[in-house]
Amino acid sequence: MSAPPPRAPGQESAPGPPPPPAAARVRQFRLPESLGPVTVLVLVLLPLLLMPLAAVFVFAFRGGPEAFVAALATRESQFAMRFSVLIAFATAILNAALGTFAAYVLSKFRFPGRGALNTVVNLPIAIPTVVVGTSLLLLWGPIGLLGSALEPYGLQPMFAPVGVLLAHLFVTFPYMLGSVKPLLDELEITYEEAAATIGASRWQTFWHVTLPALRGSIFTGALLTFAHSLGEFGATVLVSGNLRLRTQTAPLYIFAQFEAGNLAGANAVAAVLATLSFVIFFLLLNLSRRAEKPS
Amino acid sequence: MSILIEQVTKRFGAQLVLDRVSLGVAPGELFVLLGASGSGKSTMLRVVAGLTMPDRGRISLADRDVTTLAPQERGTGFVFQNYSVFRHMTVGQNIEFGLKLRNVSGSERARRRDELLDLVGLPGLASREAVRLSGGQQQRVAIARALAYEPKVLLLDEPFGALDVKIRTQLRRSLRAIHDRLRITTLLVTHDQEEAFELADRVGLMDRGRLIEIGRAEELYARPRSLFAATFLGSGTVLTGHHERGEARFQGLEFKLPHGEGREEGANAHLLIRPEDLLVSAAPPPAGQPALGTGAVIDQSFAGAMRRVRIRLPIHAEVHQASSPPSGPEGLTVDALLPSGDVLPAHDVWVTLRRWHFLEPPAASLLVADLGRGPTAPLEVARDLARGLDAQVTVLGVAADARESDQLGHRIARRQRRSGLSAGELRMRFGAPAIQILNEQAELLSQMIVLGPRAGRFAWFRGPRAVPPRRIGKTIVTLLEQSRVPVLVVIGPWHELLHLAVVTIGDAGAAGLLRAAARLARPLGMAVTLIEVEAAASSVLDGTRAPRPAAQDPLESAGVGIRSRQRIAARNLDEMCSGVLEVTADLIAVPVIRHGPQEINEVAPLVTEILSVADRPVLIVPTQR
Amino acid sequence: MLCLSVPLKQVKFPSLREAHQGSDSLSVRHAFTSWGNRFHNLGCAREPRHRSSGRLQGASFDMSWLDRIVAYLKASSALILMGGLLLYGLWPWLPLHARADVPRTVVFYGFSILDHSITHDVFPAFQKQWRARTGESIDLISSFAGSGTITNQVIMGVPVDLTLLALEADAYRLVEAGVVRHEGWRQLPFNGVVNRTPIVIVVRPGNPKGIRDFSDLARPGMRIVHPDPLTSGGANWAIVAEYGAGQRANPADPDAGFKLLLGIWRNVVAQAASARGARTQFDLGFGDALITYEQEGLWDLAKGEFHGEIVYPRSTILTEHTLVEVSRNVSASERELVDSLASFMWSEPAQQMFVRNGFRSVNEALVEADTTYKRIEDPFLIGDWGGWARAKREIVEGVWRARVLKELGQ
Repeated sequence: MSAPPPRAPGQESAPGPPPPPAAARVRQFRLPESLGPVTVLVLVLLPLLLMPLAAVFVFAFRGGPEAFVAALATRESQFAMRFSVLIAFATAILNAALGTFAAYVLSKFRFPGRGALNTVVNLPIAIPTVVVGTSLLLLWGPIGLLGSALEPYGLQPMFAPVGVLLAHLFVTFPYMLGSVKPLLDELEITYEEAAATIGASRWQTFWHVTLPALRGSIFTGALLTFAHSLGEFGATVLVSGNLRLRTQTAPLYIFAQFEAGNLAGANAVAAVLATLSFVIFFLLLNLSRRAEKPS
Repeated sequence: MSILIEQVTKRFGAQLVLDRVSLGVAPGELFVLLGASGSGKSTMLRVVAGLTMPDRGRISLADRDVTTLAPQERGTGFVFQNYSVFRHMTVGQNIEFGLKLRNVSGSERARRRDELLDLVGLPGLASREAVRLSGGQQQRVAIARALAYEPKVLLLDEPFGALDVKIRTQLRRSLRAIHDRLRITTLLVTHDQEEAFELADRVGLMDRGRLIEIGRAEELYARPRSLFAATFLGSGTVLTGHHERGEARFQGLEFKLPHGEGREEGANAHLLIRPEDLLVSAAPPPAGQPALGTGAVIDQSFAGAMRRVRIRLPIHAEVHQASSPPSGPEGLTVDALLPSGDVLPAHDVWVTLRRWHFLEPPAASLLVADLGRGPTAPLEVARDLARGLDAQVTVLGVAADARESDQLGHRIARRQRRSGLSAGELRMRFGAPAIQILNEQAELLSQMIVLGPRAGRFAWFRGPRAVPPRRIGKTIVTLLEQSRVPVLVVIGPWHELLHLAVVTIGDAGAAGLLRAAARLARPLGMAVTLIEVEAAASSVLDGTRAPRPAAQDPLESAGVGIRSRQRIAARNLDEMCSGVLEVTADLIAVPVIRHGPQEINEVAPLVTEILSVADRPVLIVPTQR
Repeated sequence: MLCLSVPLKQVKFPSLREAHQGSDSLSVRHAFTSWGNRFHNLGCAREPRHRSSGRLQGASFDMSWLDRIVAYLKASSALILMGGLLLYGLWPWLPLHARADVPRTVVFYGFSILDHSITHDVFPAFQKQWRARTGESIDLISSFAGSGTITNQVIMGVPVDLTLLALEADAYRLVEAGVVRHEGWRQLPFNGVVNRTPIVIVVRPGNPKGIRDFSDLARPGMRIVHPDPLTSGGANWAIVAEYGAGQRANPADPDAGFKLLLGIWRNVVAQAASARGARTQFDLGFGDALITYEQEGLWDLAKGEFHGEIVYPRSTILTEHTLVEVSRNVSASERELVDSLASFMWSEPAQQMFVRNGFRSVNEALVEADTTYKRIEDPFLIGDWGGWARAKREIVEGVWRARVLKELGQ
């Protein structure tokens, strides 16, 4: 129609769309060829993943919606779910701060023993959660190393919500770190040096420059932490004492009800927990996909 | 001075990154530091900004000593090669960041922001997210951001390095325009000559941590003082000859050039010839015009209006070509630039000099190779020589690998302090010692190599003829074969150098040897004894002839008196050797004569014999017949 | 999961199309890295768009507008979800509802099969009674698991006030660990025994395998679900029951008990951590027979959920469940409350509740009045074997662990 709009002098380049990444050019099979392998995959996954998940919902609703609601409405189940959610929030928020700080220190400071520390902070991912629970008990429990010293003052972190929080912080710590640290490692040093030359102090640089750049990964890490905390069982079962209406989290409730033979009660909460996990997972997936393809 | 850098030295481990760099940048000047990667130019810039702390030296900005200040307190604007715009901010927020930190009011910030956006050519883009811009635009934002809080100086570290050629040119022009308008003192670092030439008021050339030369671009190109400047900027050929009686002589070439007075007799003369200084013609040049000779065109390339022609001249001479194009054993290769229209025959073209430029003689410098163990006599002798010759000393440590390098560096530094050679700059390399010593010498243009007798592993050396094998360090053997400059092998404990014995064998290389001896003996005030070995036993030293009486000429013309003169008639090597060693001298100078690369002469057996039995320092002078 | 971490490096230049669209569309699909920023910007008016003409642009305008809505919905749904969750979690603690003072609490640990009778009957009754007497509302916190498990947890330091253990042996473990100073439960009524229930065999409906007694379980091919003696009190009872039945059937043979025990354990196919867990496994279809408390079967029968039949062996043990007060954890101010709850266990209403839940009361009259409870031909008690201290040593450790398990190669 008309002449192209005049270019501003600074707009010397508006590069065309970048060539598709190499991965996109990998040969992809179309429908007739893919039918076989896909069927096999689905058949393998069916008894492994899909059907057990479906079974939870089937059992939850077997007694009809009223039974489902009734099973959820008990005081114990309500407490367990609320307690789980609160612990998950607390864990996510505390670990967001703690994990970001740890990542910052490990990534930006050079000190002897840095490699070792790096390994140690990632250790919880490799340690069985039951072991985490036992070790916490042996440290903080009434007969533990530190716990026995606290005992005379009436401080007892184990078998109390604080104990559950401690266990969850411990178990989920690497997720926050794993989410933030790679990003921080890749953040060029000049990024912060630029802020320094402009006149920002170390703290201002962190607050105005580094932290905003990490915002996305902190959020992802927090969500991941939240999801893990929501489902944590192995360590919780040991440190919580499994006290109803006091320290019983949703997974513990499910297990206790299952043990007691109350399958309906167990499955109702299990179904809710599973749904919540799905939602959070899709949220994470969506976020990470957006990060991979910004436009 | 807006930026004053005084004697700044910086080491990373044993590696010397900045070596006593001093520089002043005038207010409003745009100064460009130009150098290859690893030359220390970026480190220099970071030291000015405070991002890197120097080991020694002082930095002043606007007459205020800022050496110990943090980057935040220096008030510099810094632009990085990778832009480093804050990606979570908009363009406007990026620019305003510095103002916000300084608590500038919102309206003032907005005014300043828009002003700067106009200045850098991005009007109206304030609300755009910074990372959504192209690379060139991001760099414009980075420049605006660095200028926003009105810094005292603007520092740019390869600002256009990550951009493609076209945008680089545009941005370069913009920067020049911005500078013309703001007149802010600017220090820019680049490896791109074209960029330096186009932008700079003045250019500083950096090489391996040293600021080699400073000047306006045209000056540096047309009249460089140093060999580094001559070879780093533009292309061309540097020929090495020597001064004799007010003229520069290039043996093997058919011309002598009048050259300034005051040059030391016998010193090296470096002649720079740029491609555009050469005249190429089919016909012989008129008499009196200095000509390199005739040669063959071996390559031509079209370069717009001009054509680059590569010509090979069949010259075997003492002329040594210091820069590209490399000359092989076939002869001397030169590039010439001529109009595209000119037609040339393929063979027998005349190459004539139209213009030429002499480089300043490099400051006297000694290279001491140290093992980090054994006697420290080489370091002590080097200390004495440096004092007498007023030369700079570089101490070179050659480590097996990078890991060992730091350790060795510390050991050598300790030895330097013990020997009173702390002023000597320590450099570390790793690899084969002989090769690294030669490389270092070539880069520093040191005039002498000093080392102990056992540098490196032992090797059984065999001369060109069947002589009994001698135990000499492999490194010395290699240096003997390849070094272009005299090599001083310090044997025995330290001794004050008072007497010099110069051994001439026939007239082989006598002129070169005596020239070298004179240049050493005169400033050090050494007494010289001349020993003329008569090679009576022709079975031992084949091809040597009776000495000519004029052999001592260079010594006399240099004003060095000969205390005594001895003549040794020997039947075999042993006799010859013991004859030489009987003479009272603190230092024995012997020639090594070369026919070509790595092709050792007939006197080598004597030299190796002397080296293996001598109890005092031996100076080996490479000469040509 | 670490793969989800997002490299910030991928700074893409805008494509040609986007560059023409101006700032608006670009910001909508911008990288996740400025995610939080989005929340701020959503409500604010954006900068006016560059409205340069061009056909290409009209089409892409709609796209970007749609994208914007989608992005808006995504962002807000995530916010709403997380906000809603937080609200849900905090709800009971919000200062919306008038809150009474924090009530006093008693922490009670019980072995698995007690769950329903305690939480649904005994506790509400006691809370009601206590309120009637003192006007105070109290919280009763409980946890139920295998008797061995809760004993371990009490030893680890769970702040429990009262615990009802499946067997006295676990109480002795508490004494050993120093949690309870002496055999205080012996001062309680009935030596601390709150209720009883015999060990029985539960079989599939119609008893297809024709099981009549423990000896039938030793037949080859039987598949038995048994609780785990390491964590379950019921399992320990069951071992004594099996051993005792064998021994009483053939008193002349000193190895008769061992032989029966070996025969039964050869057929054990599943071990659960508690009696409850074993029953759940049996309910899910494992095994031909389940060895458990009579209460398990009766209670399900009462609920109409029973998928099996109870077989009463000729001789079996009557299990006795011991109440232990962990006085270490009971403060002086709580003492009266805890003691009241403890003695309430033996009160007539509480005992009737236990009977309703399938337990045989320590009050024989209550049991006999109820026709659900079949007579057992040859019942015996742990006392017949010298009490738990000895039975544990001689039967569970001495025969089952040392001989049966060894024989089975475990």
